[in-house]
Amino acid sequence: MSHRLRRAHVVVLLTGAAVIAGWVLVAQNGKRPEGATAPRKQTGSPQLVSYEPLPTEAMDDENCQWVVAGQALAAAPPQAGFPDGAPARPAEGSAFPDPSGKKPVRMIRDSYASYSSVAVDPINNEVILTDENLFNVLAFNRLENSPATAISQPKRVIGGLKTKIEFQSGLYLDPKNGDIYAVNNDTVDTLVIFSRNANGDAPPDRQLHTPHGTFGIAVDEEHQELLLTVQHDSAVVTFPKTAKSEDPPIRLLQGEHTLLADPHGIALDAKDDLIFVINHGSVHQVRPGGEDRQRTWGGGQGKPNWPLGFGNAIPGSGKNLPPSITIYPRAASGDAAPLRVIQGPKTEMNWPTGIAFDARTNEIFVANDMGDSILVFNAAANGDAAPRRVLKGPKSLIKNPTGVFVDPKNDELWVANFGNHTAAAYKLSASGDTAPLRVIRSAPPDKPTLSIGNPHPVAYDGKREQILVPN
Amino acid sequence: MAHPQIAAFARLADGNAKPVRKIEGQTTLLGRTMHSIAYDEIHDEFVVPQQFAQAILTFRGGADGEEAPVRLIQGPLTQLRNPDRLAIDPVHNEIFVPQGNSVLVFAREAAGNVAPIRVLKGPDTGLGASALAVDPVHNLLVVGGRSDGISRLLIFNRTDQGNVKPKAAIGGPKSGLAHISGPFVVYPPKNEIIVSVRGSSSESNEMATDDCFVGVWSTEDSGDVPPRWTIGGPKGVLRMVRGVDLDPKNKSVIVTDKRLNAVLTFYFPELF
Repeated sequence: MSHRLRRAHVVVLLTGAAVIAGWVLVAQNGKRPEGATAPRKQTGSPQLVSYEPLPTEAMDDENCQWVVAGQALAAAPPQAGFPDGAPARPAEGSAFPDPSGKKPVRMIRDSYASYSSVAVDPINNEVILTDENLFNVLAFNRLENSPATAISQPKRVIGGLKTKIEFQSGLYLDPKNGDIYAVNNDTVDTLVIFSRNANGDAPPDRQLHTPHGTFGIAVDEEHQELLLTVQHDSAVVTFPKTAKSEDPPIRLLQGEHTLLADPHGIALDAKDDLIFVINHGSVHQVRPGGEDRQRTWGGGQGKPNWPLGFGNAIPGSGKNLPPSITIYPRAASGDAAPLRVIQGPKTEMNWPTGIAFDARTNEIFVANDMGDSILVFNAAANGDAAPRRVLKGPKSLIKNPTGVFVDPKNDELWVANFGNHTAAAYKLSASGDTAPLRVIRSAPPDKPTLSIGNPHPVAYDGKREQILVPN
Repeated sequence: MAHPQIAAFARLADGNAKPVRKIEGQTTLLGRTMHSIAYDEIHDEFVVPQQFAQAILTFRGGADGEEAPVRLIQGPLTQLRNPDRLAIDPVHNEIFVPQGNSVLVFAREAAGNVAPIRVLKGPDTGLGASALAVDPVHNLLVVGGRSDGISRLLIFNRTDQGNVKPKAAIGGPKSGLAHISGPFVVYPPKNEIIVSVRGSSSESNEMATDDCFVGVWSTEDSGDVPPRWTIGGPKGVLRMVRGVDLDPKNKSVIVTDKRLNAVLTFYFPELF
């Protein structure tokens, strides 16, 4: 196709797609008659106002009713709501007034919690869940068990702008006092720590500035250290457990030899002093440098042991590796190679995300997101090792699991299913298509899970009349 | 976030609507932090950046499930450092990637370890490129970003390369372009630039802000010009606006919002 023809093609495509009716340039004036649509925002320049009447027949956007968000919310089930807390935007005291006069005709949004990580407080008999959809941390009775016809009611819900909770991906509960450590994977770059009884829109009792893109957390109680994985920079950073505010990390594991590649979950084997790190496989290399501004998104200026960011990335060094579990000494630092790597087709890993360790059986449990399965490996495995057993199947209810937790006191395994509004408990030895012992549900089972998470870009596919939404 | 994916929803989807399809899984090579997506209606493909693996992934338009990209730009010749956003020009068959102080341009059909066919870079460009859009009809490249602490839209000729001054710059206190929030679009038939604006960039409103809005400027604007129209702020429906795209046939603007964790469609006939 010639250049001229191609140009003509796009002009036709673009102009043909736009149905332009009568347009008149007018300056916006002041008062409006009672009952009229709210005026467009004064922007200081002449504005276009359409005189085209709304069509009355075609099933089109123009025929859709305005969504009154407050009404939708009032009809929503107990756990539904907006991230700022229910009712919508209480601070403003009204539901979606928009001074521009524009209201959405449609809003695609999952109104139910989607659980991303899970941990158990065996002393207080509670299970804690993070919700990456509505931005809450929820506490349930550990023995909560909801039938498919019911929605589980939390004992406490921490959420709201003061909490700094948004995309919490990792979770740790202090075994002594029940403090909740919730890792923010995006946006605010802050590890938030709440006391066990925190509830509502409460500020964290302690917070720690972290690198951008932290995901997993493991805490070494013996050495009083906390370890975080960092997706963007393919790194593991270690802080004192009591670190706060702008305290720097005390160790950094990052570099080509580490084989870290978009790390997610992390688990600690305190007995053998090892850490296990789950990797999705995407990675680029970084060049050691000294410029503070080159940390990812500008964080960590002047701090020792902060991961090198995109400013130090070696252009064109990126690659996609198979998923893996990399195993290191707990105190590994610098560009240290792993002791072992579990990787290969026999592992069945497909976007493995969460990981937990059981010291009694020397097993590691992997939340295998895209395999809709829990993979159980011998913790001493190496190379292309098959899992010892696999928990998977329709009875198991496992769907896009992203969080997994071992509760040795009660001999239970907990799974956070990001893909079906549930978290469920199993016997630790469960395998195959085993039904859960108990289920926590945030939605009726027939409600689809959208799995939207920080929808940033959007594209409209005019050929299929579909909206493309990446996370 | 816990689960990377590209979800496709029907145009009229609303509320808890089930996605029509999802692209997800190891074979897709997708990662999280997909801060851009561009659909090419002429060739029925869509393109996304993969920041961690320094790659540009092209999928067939109807991709579904765990499907591999049909093309992958990746390797030392690409100069890709942190591809975060992109735009496609399906007419001239080019992919544009903003990268801080430069814009890399690749052939649309490039695959593997290939060098950019053009690079826009140099002190005269004034680039702090974080997002961009191409007008293939009027041969314009609009680059958004922050340079010297100022957020601006810089307008270049589409084929500019090297150290070239922009034809025009839109920005300043009257413009409200405090912080360009995400990928934006142009609408060539009306010379419009539709931009999501985050409001000020202080930490306090990283989670949500009353100031964020979608604003519409013209490719013929220059200087400290206010938007011709807005959706949202102050204290509007939007809580933390991110991306924007258009459905011209149905005269709609589609907007994503991080804090609402939602996709909103606005009927906006004035725009088209």
